[in-house]
Amino acid sequence: MDGICGKIFDEFPADSNWDAVVIGGGPNGLMTAAYLAKAGAKVCVVERRYEVGGGLATEEILFPCYYSNMHAIYHLMTDYMPAMKDFNLDVHALTFIKPNLQMAMVFSDGSTLLLTKMIEDTIDSIGKYSPKDAVAFGKQMRNWQRMMDEIVGPATYFPPMPSLDLVVSMQKTEIGRELIELNEMSPLAIMKEHFENDKLRALLLYASCMWGLHPDETGLGLFVPLLLTRAMDKAVLLGGSHKMAGAFSREILRNGGMILDNTQANKIIIENGKVTGVDTWEGRTLHSNVVISSLDPPSTFLDLIGPKNLPGTFLKESAESWKFDKWSYYTLHTVSKEIPHYKCDDPWADESFMTVVGFDSSDQIVKHWKNVVDGKLDHKLIGGHVTCESFWDPHLVRKPGGHVSFFQMHAPYGIEGGWEKKNKEVEAAVMEKWHKAAPNMKKENIIMTLGETPEDIEIRFPNMRRGAIKHGDYNIMQLAYNRPNIECSTSKTPIPGLYLCGASTYPGGMVTGGPGYLAANKVAEDMGLKKWWKPTRLMEKYAKTYL
Amino acid sequence: MAADERYDIIVVGGGHNGTTIAAYLAKCGLSVCILEERPELGGAQENTEPVAGARLSPHAIANYGGAAPGWEQLELWKYGFRMDLHARHPEYRPMATGFMTGEGMYQIDDESAMGFGKIAGYLATPSFTQELLRATFWCPPHPPEVELTTENIPYMQVYKKHAPDMWTEELLRWTMFDFMDEHIKGGEQMKTVMAYIAAVSGAFGHHEGQAIPALCSVLACTPPFIPRPVGPRGNIHGYYHALLRCALAHGVVARTCCPVEEIIINNGTAVGVRLKDTAPRGEKRIWANKAVISACDIRHTFNKLIGPSHLDRGFLQRINDLSAKGGSLYVTHWLTKNQLKFRPAYAAAMSGEGVFTGGPYVGGAATRKEYFAHMAEALGWKGRPRLPAKQGCFLWVGNQNYDETHPQCTRPGQYICGPFDTIVSTPEYDPEGPENLNKIRAEMDAYNLELAGVVCENLDHDNIVKTFVNTPWDSELRNCGLFGGSWYGVRHSKDEWWTTRPTPELARGRTQIDGLYLCHQSSMHPGGLCLMACGYNLMHTMIEDGLAKPGAWWYESPWYIPQDGKISAKRP
Repeated sequence: MDGICGKIFDEFPADSNWDAVVIGGGPNGLMTAAYLAKAGAKVCVVERRYEVGGGLATEEILFPCYYSNMHAIYHLMTDYMPAMKDFNLDVHALTFIKPNLQMAMVFSDGSTLLLTKMIEDTIDSIGKYSPKDAVAFGKQMRNWQRMMDEIVGPATYFPPMPSLDLVVSMQKTEIGRELIELNEMSPLAIMKEHFENDKLRALLLYASCMWGLHPDETGLGLFVPLLLTRAMDKAVLLGGSHKMAGAFSREILRNGGMILDNTQANKIIIENGKVTGVDTWEGRTLHSNVVISSLDPPSTFLDLIGPKNLPGTFLKESAESWKFDKWSYYTLHTVSKEIPHYKCDDPWADESFMTVVGFDSSDQIVKHWKNVVDGKLDHKLIGGHVTCESFWDPHLVRKPGGHVSFFQMHAPYGIEGGWEKKNKEVEAAVMEKWHKAAPNMKKENIIMTLGETPEDIEIRFPNMRRGAIKHGDYNIMQLAYNRPNIECSTSKTPIPGLYLCGASTYPGGMVTGGPGYLAANKVAEDMGLKKWWKPTRLMEKYAKTYL
Repeated sequence: MAADERYDIIVVGGGHNGTTIAAYLAKCGLSVCILEERPELGGAQENTEPVAGARLSPHAIANYGGAAPGWEQLELWKYGFRMDLHARHPEYRPMATGFMTGEGMYQIDDESAMGFGKIAGYLATPSFTQELLRATFWCPPHPPEVELTTENIPYMQVYKKHAPDMWTEELLRWTMFDFMDEHIKGGEQMKTVMAYIAAVSGAFGHHEGQAIPALCSVLACTPPFIPRPVGPRGNIHGYYHALLRCALAHGVVARTCCPVEEIIINNGTAVGVRLKDTAPRGEKRIWANKAVISACDIRHTFNKLIGPSHLDRGFLQRINDLSAKGGSLYVTHWLTKNQLKFRPAYAAAMSGEGVFTGGPYVGGAATRKEYFAHMAEALGWKGRPRLPAKQGCFLWVGNQNYDETHPQCTRPGQYICGPFDTIVSTPEYDPEGPENLNKIRAEMDAYNLELAGVVCENLDHDNIVKTFVNTPWDSELRNCGLFGGSWYGVRHSKDEWWTTRPTPELARGRTQIDGLYLCHQSSMHPGGLCLMACGYNLMHTMIEDGLAKPGAWWYESPWYIPQDGKISAKRP
């Protein structure tokens, strides 16, 4: 920049050269860049927001003085994610807390059902309602945990197999065959087959479908053991989820990489059918023969490349038919003088990492979800999950005397009447539900609130289009080998130099670290970089048995 | 986790100054760990997005640091530093053709403008403004054994060299008003507004002996030195990110949510720190091989982190008497449905382009009578505003100062406008208690609306979607380093400037405790404004003490005088 005295200082150049450019600094983009940078590639990450991290966001949204993890908070895959060990994340002051009481469901009759990390506590809780289910639960979880450890967990970090190959490979073991059988069932059918008590069914249904499975869809049953075991093993990252983004950023920067925030990729430059770089919003060009996009297929293929530059018609058509998540979320963030105290028969519920509020039956949950899919909210039927964040993490509070909590529920992006009109009404309905379950959540106790609608999610995180936290629906056409489509699910695309690493690519969203890890592997192989990392022990065992 | 974690240097506090010194020292090859209490690094160099798509600047806004050696030495361009493009817009008209006053736009006449250009060094050939800024902000205080003379004070040397006709010993005694009066005949309103800009930039136009620091506070943020008083891309936190990326690239370890409970003193030497029990880490003690640098506020450093058991009572009194007054801002942002507009009387002259730029405003006729009335109210506080709102003063950053590829609000059909800054009472001096302004927020907000309404025609309840406020008390709590909610730490005054900042014995960043150094805006020359100056100035001391050995990229201040018989840091 120049001033009256001539040049004052230099700025980042208009043209720069990189070995790889990553579009989007969310968990996967950062992870891919961190692996590649440490392998010796000169990497630049382009991030639209003023902070990297994507959903790994811990920000002072309850302004002033109160922070919230307004997006990713329940870390599900810390036990499986190779990046944990590969980057020694504990050296970066990542301290995870896994509360024993993972989930409590409080019913309007004052009864409570618990889901805990120590399975015996869950069994005890189920026993209050059905001794038979208590036994069945123990048995099922034993099996499902094995499926998770031996197959589903490690498979998250291997490229997907076409479904026929998968079926063949699973025949090699009994647990594999069982998994394939389970896969053919819908989540609701699985609950009905194994458990008689509806309270239990309701809790398990919520736990396994809350992140976007359709309760009635068949062919995705293998997600049930994944999500149920994960629902019993969630961790909160002390100091906020954003710390994980910070840890990856540090790896990138230390290894000569760069993070260019506050700008968006406007165009992926294609010359002679190959990728040659990225143009940014403010007119800078990042030249690179490798571009790795963490965005969804419509953004990557239609907006940044453009239909004309796509080879053939397959990518265009598959991007055009991409379905964003079937539902989004409405979250009411609050600062209250006291933590929520639940009116129920188990005082432990106040200390639950996640408390499910508002539902009395599996039927009601299914009805609520159906409404949401249809773009409606029936205030009598709504319910959701609550976490008191500051109970676990005192750092979120800068002004003593306040507690940070949120009530999150499934909600449609396109709501009847529009969010602008509905926002206040929905906030009141949520507050009423919450107050019913936790009588102290009332006006006198509330210092501040902030309702975040699905539209707000899209505004805050422009890559979560239509409030889609997973960049695209979980359905059989968009999962496994089909995510985002059969030509791109192994991270590589038909366009030379273009790779995908986001939640819209196999295995999907939820900060599993899967897409980022897989893209890093593929790009490293294609660039001829020496991989400095090795698969985890669980991954090796899986590969030996099934691959 | 390693039980015995060691670094060469521990920096307590990850704000602008802590990160600057960390980057400098890491670039010298030292291992450095920053410990930050909050979940986010950056201190007052921060932005937030409390409603999706609307960005706030709770403290720092503009880039005052243009003259810093840090741009070259730390190569921030390499780490992604960019200015907002709007600053380079070809159709841009320099702002300083007129100012807002309670009686409409005041247009600066040519003679006054030339007079100001002369004292600012713009008009000399070559211009000496940058040299003057560096001499004022980027030079460590002279050692205590050196007698200060008109010949060796850096900015005096600059005037003597480039503008001998303006040089006089009085430059050391004058207020900024006096200096302007000496060289500019009329232009009362211009002088007043300049003094007010100085006041909201770290030095007051009416403080004795502060003519040049106050003048430089204005020059650093106004055209023509910097083409437009606009922030970096990514706002002030974008600037911080470049600094942080530089630090991290050189190996700095930066830990958030790690509040420090105490600086461990062993036989009179600072050897490490102990974290509070809430810190996520297992081992709560971290050891420093060479030095602990406190980049958190000076009162906290000595009262809490060191504690009275190691300190002289008289010294502590002096530390607690350091004034937080003047830097306490009541910061407002408005989220509105319609783009804010100037009233016709202010529109044309202020923006030229028909856009809402905001700007400084001094109420009434904008003579120094109004200035002093405002200062008497803000600094000699009486609990709540007594002057009519229209006679207040403000600094308002309009939302149309930014490039369209750098939007401050991405909510469809909504606009964020701010900060709207007014100087208010410092919490600890408020007769109705430190939380007073929080308690009377509704009254304060109404007062500010009336004040803003003097220049803005459509800031009303129909238009406003949400009002965001951080009071000084909020700032003190949320930004642990801002005692009194003061965004520049300690005001510039004769007793708190250069060789006396924060106290004469601490001026070079050394302390009475071996191995403990200071690098915070409240404890090091020159203070706030995100200048990368505290770190640069402290570097001279770190080099003297044999702790840092920079490479060829380093250059010291040309006015720097090394200390005779300096005490090198002894290590156990």
